[in-house]
Amino acid sequence: MEALKNALDFRDFPTIDLTIAGIGALFLIIFPVLPHSSFAMATMIQFLMFSLYGMGWNTIGGYGGQVDLGKAQYVGIGAYTTAVMLVKWDIPFWVSMPIGMCLSVIWSFIIGYPLFRLKGHYFAIATIATSLVLKDIFEVWEFVGAARGINISPIDYSPPDFLRLMFKEDTYYYYVILGFFFLGIFYVNWFRKSRLGFQLRAIKDNEDVAGSLGINVHWAKVKTYAIATAFVSLVGSFHACYIKNIEPEDTMSLDISILIALMAMLGGAGSLWGPIIGAGILIPLKSYLKEWLGATAGLVGIDLIIYSLIIMVISAFEPKGIWGIIERVRGRSSS
Amino acid sequence: MKILEVINLTKDFDGLRANDNISFSIEQDSVVGLIGPNGAGKTTLFNCISGHYPLTEGKVIFDGKDITDLKSHDIARLGLARTFQVYVASGDLTVKENIMVGCFLRTHSRSVAMRRTDEILEQLNLTHLKDSLVKELPVAGQKRVTMATAIGTQPKMLLLDEVAAGLTPPEIEEIIGIIRHVHKNFGLTIMLIEHVMEMVMKVSERVIVLNYGKKIADGTPENVSKDPKVISAYLGERYAKEHGVGIDRGLHE
Repeated sequence: MEALKNALDFRDFPTIDLTIAGIGALFLIIFPVLPHSSFAMATMIQFLMFSLYGMGWNTIGGYGGQVDLGKAQYVGIGAYTTAVMLVKWDIPFWVSMPIGMCLSVIWSFIIGYPLFRLKGHYFAIATIATSLVLKDIFEVWEFVGAARGINISPIDYSPPDFLRLMFKEDTYYYYVILGFFFLGIFYVNWFRKSRLGFQLRAIKDNEDVAGSLGINVHWAKVKTYAIATAFVSLVGSFHACYIKNIEPEDTMSLDISILIALMAMLGGAGSLWGPIIGAGILIPLKSYLKEWLGATAGLVGIDLIIYSLIIMVISAFEPKGIWGIIERVRGRSSS
Repeated sequence: MKILEVINLTKDFDGLRANDNISFSIEQDSVVGLIGPNGAGKTTLFNCISGHYPLTEGKVIFDGKDITDLKSHDIARLGLARTFQVYVASGDLTVKENIMVGCFLRTHSRSVAMRRTDEILEQLNLTHLKDSLVKELPVAGQKRVTMATAIGTQPKMLLLDEVAAGLTPPEIEEIIGIIRHVHKNFGLTIMLIEHVMEMVMKVSERVIVLNYGKKIADGTPENVSKDPKVISAYLGERYAKEHGVGIDRGLHE
């Protein structure tokens, strides 16, 4: 009961933040009825998906300070679980999604338990490695279609199919992911005030001190890693139904892992709104770069160059991202 | 009743013996000082007791349980808390949040943790600082916050590592008051490492002295301060001789 109250209680934010967040939420709710292009709709869905990925990453990476660059493997597990179950056994999304989450969480324990013996950069590198290994396994695994991946053909279903999440219009997908988006915000709002959230922030501060305060540092990290994983896997499952064509290269590549981390880092790691701000900037940028620049001028890969630049600028000048800048400006004006 | 028992504790670092066969026990509800010149092995001893270093040899018994092989977080859970000598907060935790981390050891409920935190803030005169970032406080403030956070874990015993280092005389007076208050009001057994002699002598009922990793004296502050071994360890043999204090020649041999 207290947990629910904490999840719904945003009163510790200044009124101005809540006003902006309220306007933003209202805009998101009415967006589909406003005049928009299908490109804008697709971008908005991507924005919501990546906000959720970023929120998940933010639990372990932002609040816990453990830079994880291997989240794509869980996008893959979620997406493949849903796609395989749908195509092979006609199991609906609402069943396969939680199963995918369970599989992801189990895998996250197998990976996380040994990996969290490592610290800092070594941990980051190890997460990249495990993700790439899993991708390579999927590329040769015939059961999941190997490198060809899995194709969900929408003509097998009669849209709108709410059980299997098979729709003709993007508007349906939009509202499904928007629902998860709001749930995600409530969850993280609870998390940041929870015992685990506080323990994680103490760990980020100083692991020895955290241990002396009775925090099982290793276990807290493994648990939070599993929470982050569950978020990512859920969106992965959604991704399968939305994109309908799942390939290892698309879902599990290093680009995806980096992009997920970048959402939170650019917006502000360790803050509730950070990943949303990050996704709000990066996703339109990514879509624009891909659709126009990439296609017309043949500048394939320019998006990657820009991401790397952003990473360098953030780590050099403002480790707390855009939210850090906002907080600083605010601190200066109030004092 | 003995709350802490250290039996033949030895700690080696690659051939360097930092703690050499140290034994002592501490009675419940007492305040014990641990002193010694730089490099005597005081902080190492704390790290061994609190589970941050594995022992080379020996045993540590806390509250009737053998905690020798336990991890630091399990030891904290049993009720042995500590502060760190050099603790630079780097994160974005406020004073209140920092203390809440400690309180969360004994509860899952945010509101309970907040209530306890408010009590501790008030008892340690920190209420006016509760929304400041820990990293932005001066040293004296940070030390008080680390003490408050350790108290938040509701320990039976508290190990304080140089809480008075770098403080001004009035700040030392204040921290002495806080330690006495904490000892009395929270019923805590306290063991403190300190370089500020004035403070050790004022608050401790008993003082243990280390030198080169060995225990060289153990007794009341008055007796210890007159002990020739202690004087020579601190002031050097020549100074002690010139001032007519007896010296144990075999000390460093």
